[in-house]
Amino acid sequence: MVLLFGAATLIALALQTMLPYWLPIGPYVPDLVLILAVDLGLRHHGAIAALMAFVMGYAIDAFSGTQIGLNAFMITLVFLLTYEMSSRLLVTNVVVGILAVFAGVLIKDLGSIAISSGFGGLGQRGLMADLFGQAAITALIAPLVFLALARSKKLLGLLTPGRREDNTPARRWLK
Amino acid sequence: MKASFLWRNRVVLTSLLMLLLAAHMLTTGVRPNDPTARPGEFVMGVLSPVQGGSAHLVEAAHDFWHDYLGLVAVQRQNQQLRAELAHFENDRARLAELETENRHLSELLDVREALGMRAIAANVIGSDATGLSRTLILSEGSSSGLKPGMAVLSNEGVVGKLLSTSPGSSRVLLIDDHNAALDAFDQRSRVRGIVAGVVDDGLTMKYVGRTADVRPGDPVVTSGLDGVFPRGLLIGQVSRVEREGPGLFVNVAVAPAVDFRRLEQVLVVKDPPPRVVAQDDNS
Repeated sequence: MVLLFGAATLIALALQTMLPYWLPIGPYVPDLVLILAVDLGLRHHGAIAALMAFVMGYAIDAFSGTQIGLNAFMITLVFLLTYEMSSRLLVTNVVVGILAVFAGVLIKDLGSIAISSGFGGLGQRGLMADLFGQAAITALIAPLVFLALARSKKLLGLLTPGRREDNTPARRWLK
Repeated sequence: MKASFLWRNRVVLTSLLMLLLAAHMLTTGVRPNDPTARPGEFVMGVLSPVQGGSAHLVEAAHDFWHDYLGLVAVQRQNQQLRAELAHFENDRARLAELETENRHLSELLDVREALGMRAIAANVIGSDATGLSRTLILSEGSSSGLKPGMAVLSNEGVVGKLLSTSPGSSRVLLIDDHNAALDAFDQRSRVRGIVAGVVDDGLTMKYVGRTADVRPGDPVVTSGLDGVFPRGLLIGQVSRVEREGPGLFVNVAVAPAVDFRRLEQVLVVKDPPPRVVAQDDNS
């Protein structure tokens, strides 16, 4: 799981930094790493998943903004919220994933602006339109990313938890 | 009982621990050039060849698309004309691209000569990973002598300053980022202020008194007092002055001189700017 999500994060970051250069998409950069964090929150209920979410956010910090830790904080928060939501739901299907991604982008972006610029930054003209646009685009792309992750997990045998792992207490904690 | 509580809440507890760690990093102000940010440099180092390669790929795809369009048009003519025209279009596109690149580099060279400082040209190979911040990724890094804090310019004006570097790439904080600020003045009236980015888009000139003589269309240039940018470089033009509302200062909007989304080559100034003594420009 660590290798899969590590590789997926690198690919997502490469795409996120290159897409605005390739296409005139302005501020509507799909937040692919956040989709990965939502997938972790929905389907991977272990301590390693929380650590992965933090590392993914930390990796974004290398390519965005001026404050190290900002994206690490927000991505971990989105992961935690998604995990809490999924542990209270009977079904975590694609629709739930899309809604979680949409809400997650808004929470992450609004939280990032509030932390870095204060709540005054949230009152900027046209900001909400930009944020909703980005959230919508990310939510639209989310099913494709979920599908790609599901295929990769199936390929790597990650859909049958426990098969490849031992049952030591330490392993169960991390799982 | 205790172990059971820890076991049941392992995800929440680990997440909270990670949130605390991230909050600690935020509050202690770990900056991209700090030693604790080294893992980030590693990620940048890993991805910079991919980004550089993609920039070349985009150029190649652009050329290919241009040639393709040319071919479609010529296909309606006869076979001989199509071949000639395709060849011509190919050459023309290539020459136009070379001419554009040559013009950009010549203009950057003019800027460098006018500045009289050591500077190197760098290609833009990527942009910010999120839509919220305004940063660019450059093809040159610490192996070319670049360091965080260096000024980045284009032939049109001020671009930003280097935020972090890895051996093969570096990241620029653009002046329209909401965390960017630089000392500037109105070139016509000499009124000073701080030019800062806004979250939405564009620039604002802060701390301009209500009675200050600032008008739309006035050029805004760097003052050189911030120790990053040399004095007299164009930042943009005053686009709007709002004197209505309460407060000690007017709201001055500045349209940046540089189109940050169309930047291809930039100039990184390696020397610190000459020391400028502050004058009371407002008086």
